[in-house]
Amino acid sequence: MLEYTDKIREIAARLLKEGTVEMVIGFRKGTVPMMNEPCFVTDAGDVDRLIWDGNCGVNLANYLMDRKEKIGIVAKGCDARNIVTHIVENKIDRDQLFIIGVPCTGMIDRRKVAAAVDGEILEVSEDGHNVSVRGQGFEKVLNRQEVLQQNCSLCIHRNPVISDELVAEEVPEQQGVDRYADVRRIEAMDPEEKWNFFDDLLSECIRCYACRNACPLCYCPTCFVDESRPQWVGKSQDPIDVRTFHFLRAYHCAGRCTDCGACERACPVGINMRVFTKKLEKDCLEKFGWEAGLTTDARPPLDTFRPDDPDDFIK
Amino acid sequence: MSEWEPKIVSFLCNWCSYGAADLAGVSRMEYPPNIRVVRIPCTGRMDPKFFLAALREGADGVWVSG
Amino acid sequence: MGIEPGRIQFSWVSSAESTKFVQVVKEVTETVKALGPNTHFVKHEAKVA
Repeated sequence: MLEYTDKIREIAARLLKEGTVEMVIGFRKGTVPMMNEPCFVTDAGDVDRLIWDGNCGVNLANYLMDRKEKIGIVAKGCDARNIVTHIVENKIDRDQLFIIGVPCTGMIDRRKVAAAVDGEILEVSEDGHNVSVRGQGFEKVLNRQEVLQQNCSLCIHRNPVISDELVAEEVPEQQGVDRYADVRRIEAMDPEEKWNFFDDLLSECIRCYACRNACPLCYCPTCFVDESRPQWVGKSQDPIDVRTFHFLRAYHCAGRCTDCGACERACPVGINMRVFTKKLEKDCLEKFGWEAGLTTDARPPLDTFRPDDPDDFIK
Repeated sequence: MSEWEPKIVSFLCNWCSYGAADLAGVSRMEYPPNIRVVRIPCTGRMDPKFFLAALREGADGVWVSG
Repeated sequence: MGIEPGRIQFSWVSSAESTKFVQVVKEVTETVKALGPNTHFVKHEAKVA
């Protein structure tokens, strides 16, 4: 991970010095452990603020929309796919971007780490295989694979799909992962069970919209939840309104979501709302053979029509 | 209360099913009175939020017809 | 998502097919009738004490 940091700094300094880009978007250390923050560097002297480790789960593609200047951006596999989605949706021009690709080995789930120890965590460091956690009066070493975010342990696109320069050799992609086990489990439920399952899943939701704000796909000038004329979604804590919000948010991500996990990571109450987007991701893959953000050459399934599109639900 | 009858919100495309409904009316055909018709300019106007809004407001079924 | 299949239906009827329209209305009504009232997604007004 340390090599990554050095290489990112080196590339960023070069880009800013040569004037290839006006700004580099990357990560800096957060004020609390395991919470790295986005960092915008405009001066070559400031590149030492940039870092890389397993806590860079925020999706930086979120900060690209409608920017006018030339930007260098640090992108792991899922960020790169979201950048592709932005390019396809005309939210940014490919020529404006210099993509610093980071072959990713997965991001650490801070909740799993916190659950593995007692007491407040003061410092977390990692090498390739282990994560060392230090707090008041304890120290513990955890297996890195076991504390990865769930979407990262299921990821099959760890290397950036587009990049101008990679910070390291590509990492081997994971083979034979069963990505949709949890979706299949829910699909097998009958309507009553599903209803109860989602009731339980969403019962904690406080409608803070952190999942929406963290998501690089959510860039509508007026979000459907903020609309009041007509008001399609009630603004209350009523379980039906909460459910409506989550279903509609997921539908807006259909065929676009890259399963970067930013929504789940941002959730203050730890709702696994990825089960919704994952279901749509699975449907897109099965019905249209589509995975979001892999190429700038193809149009997404929801804005194209093919005579062989599945239509067996229509009488 | 007499026997329960479902309320079905139907979204009909102006050019297809809405026309068919009109023709059915002109031809004095009989069909169940359970549907409440919403005319949409095209089935492409449909949005998941319409389904959820209809159900939320107490519809027993939603029918979309192009 | 906890809504029974059949509560939401899609069909395609041309504007000349009034017979099919009547047929489909009957089918849709029958299916929903068989499912019974929708209890799940209905929002109940908050009770004011």
